[in-house]
Amino acid sequence: MASVTITNVWKYYGKTVAVKDLNITCNDGEFVSVLGPSGCGKSSTLRMLAGLEHISAGDIHFGDTRVNDLEPKDRDIAMVFENYALYPHKTVYENMANPLRLRNESEETIKKRIAFAAEMLEIEHLLQRKPMELSGGQKQRTAIGRAIVREPKLFLFDEPIAHLDAKLRARMRGELKIMQRRLGTTMIYVTHDQLEAMSMADRIAVMNNGVLQQFGTPQEIYNHPVNEWVAGFVGEPPMNFIDCDLIEEGGSFYAVHSAFKVAVPSDQAVKLRGALKSSGVRMGIRPDQLAISLGQDGAAKGSIKITEPLGGDTLVDVDLKGANHVLVKTDADFRGQMNDPCSLNFDTSRWHFFSKETGVAYF
Amino acid sequence: MASRDVVVYKTPLSRIWNIFTVVFIAFYLLWTLLPLMIMFFSSFKDLLAAFQLPPVGAFSKIGLFFDFTPTTKHYYNLFVNLGFTTYFFNSIVAAGGSAIISVVLGSMCAYALSRYDFRGKPDLFFWIISTRMAPVVAVLVPLYAIFRGADLIGTKAGLILAFTTFNLPFAIWILKGFFDNVPYAIEEASMVDGSTRFQAFRAILPLVAPGIGAFVILCILFAWNDFLFSSIIGSGGAKTLPPATVELVQPQNIQWGSIMAAGVVTTLPMMFLGLLIRRYLVTGLTMGAVRE
Repeated sequence: MASVTITNVWKYYGKTVAVKDLNITCNDGEFVSVLGPSGCGKSSTLRMLAGLEHISAGDIHFGDTRVNDLEPKDRDIAMVFENYALYPHKTVYENMANPLRLRNESEETIKKRIAFAAEMLEIEHLLQRKPMELSGGQKQRTAIGRAIVREPKLFLFDEPIAHLDAKLRARMRGELKIMQRRLGTTMIYVTHDQLEAMSMADRIAVMNNGVLQQFGTPQEIYNHPVNEWVAGFVGEPPMNFIDCDLIEEGGSFYAVHSAFKVAVPSDQAVKLRGALKSSGVRMGIRPDQLAISLGQDGAAKGSIKITEPLGGDTLVDVDLKGANHVLVKTDADFRGQMNDPCSLNFDTSRWHFFSKETGVAYF
Repeated sequence: MASRDVVVYKTPLSRIWNIFTVVFIAFYLLWTLLPLMIMFFSSFKDLLAAFQLPPVGAFSKIGLFFDFTPTTKHYYNLFVNLGFTTYFFNSIVAAGGSAIISVVLGSMCAYALSRYDFRGKPDLFFWIISTRMAPVVAVLVPLYAIFRGADLIGTKAGLILAFTTFNLPFAIWILKGFFDNVPYAIEEASMVDGSTRFQAFRAILPLVAPGIGAFVILCILFAWNDFLFSSIIGSGGAKTLPPATVELVQPQNIQWGSIMAAGVVTTLPMMFLGLLIRRYLVTGLTMGAVRE
């Protein structure tokens, strides 16, 4: 087991920059998720950690060892690939035995370790099958099994459950988390699914366009996104963004939009002072931080565009005056109809303001 | 997975087409198998029986073909008097040797070409296959001069080398397609598991087995059937079956019986080989082209 330190790492493919000046420190035994859309450099990062790609610039350390020039086999890592990468001509048992065989473990040890991993992953009955005879979830378990039979310093998971169906994915999320806690091995988990990152990781590194946007606990990422991009990427349904003006009246700040004028709490006003001079701010608020009512007595007035009952709760798309579509998450017993007038109240303690030009969060 | 059956609806035209297909296949079989059959039976007949032919058009006398006392004297003659044991052995060594060398070097080269990017790769690749574009005759004279200088004329090593020069580019070309179809992730997984690049290469070899099987067959077939190289470079010490058979045609005496027997001896091993790796051959020749 080891900590992982990524220092000023760059990755170029020809002239294309895939990873830009990345710095991440991952503690021993920590579960770190690298989150971002496709093409954000998260897989390149993982492959550099695995040694499958050269590091263009910068250093990667496992513990105190600089691994830049180590071959994958000498890094003592285990990796699970997005498409499982099982050996199609070998049985599940042989697939899992492979990393141990390559390290000249005795047959007895191999048997013991596989039995342990198979029991943990509940694939004991599949050991003699070949990958072709397995379902997606079983292949996935085999791939994970191949990673955990050894006791590597570091687990690298590259979107391992992206291709499973939704129900199985939900189950695997829990199981992977339990497995990582049980083994206590440092894990770096790449995913584009913010739900996976939020639900499993100790800390999340959010990347976009090769740049690390924010590195923090799921709560920090969710509650205090550093910029508009992170705010919009994390959270489902996504955060609403409303362009508004910021004005000062009688010592208080107000966020003003054609549909509403809401006072900014005084503790937030301090942080917003710098924004007064700019041409406007972008307010961000999550769908569950908005309260909808059918009357016209709320802070912002609009009409219902569409309602989407989801069973447990209802999503309402509200047309605010001034052409903003705002998504609101409300109770299942909400009875609004299309085109009904409605009004919204903001949970002002939890909203966010971003700079319109740079996207950086004021708070 | 959807059914792989091709849905066909019957129309009067398709029925006629079906009948036509059957007739065509029947004629084609006759066309292909009849000479082989004549060769096979004639090799067991003595010269007199072999030339007993029914009159043209007398199909009722067709039994005449099968009316003979089998004799193995031609085979005896071949292997005992004419030294075909050596030629047969030479053929096997030359074909097998060049197939093995081509497959070993070819798969490594194909893997490298498939996995690594380097300057001038397309040119190199084209150059490799361009060596196969000239007909054998065009390179034979310079090749002979080179081989003469290296003292390789009439040796099995020389013959293997000659076949390999022609089989290797072919091996690289075919096998590269197969390696291209193997996902990188499998060998990457293997390297992360703790293998070297070479071990990872070996780990994915079973995945290109159909390609290797198909190639081995084609390679052996080329070497086995080859006449030009064997008669010129192999002449003397490393004579193979085809030039040896030709020598049975002598100005004063064409030894038909022995020629037929030599034909059988040359054809049978290839037929068995074909049957043996037929499965590979079919998947092999199509797999390279189809993305899964």
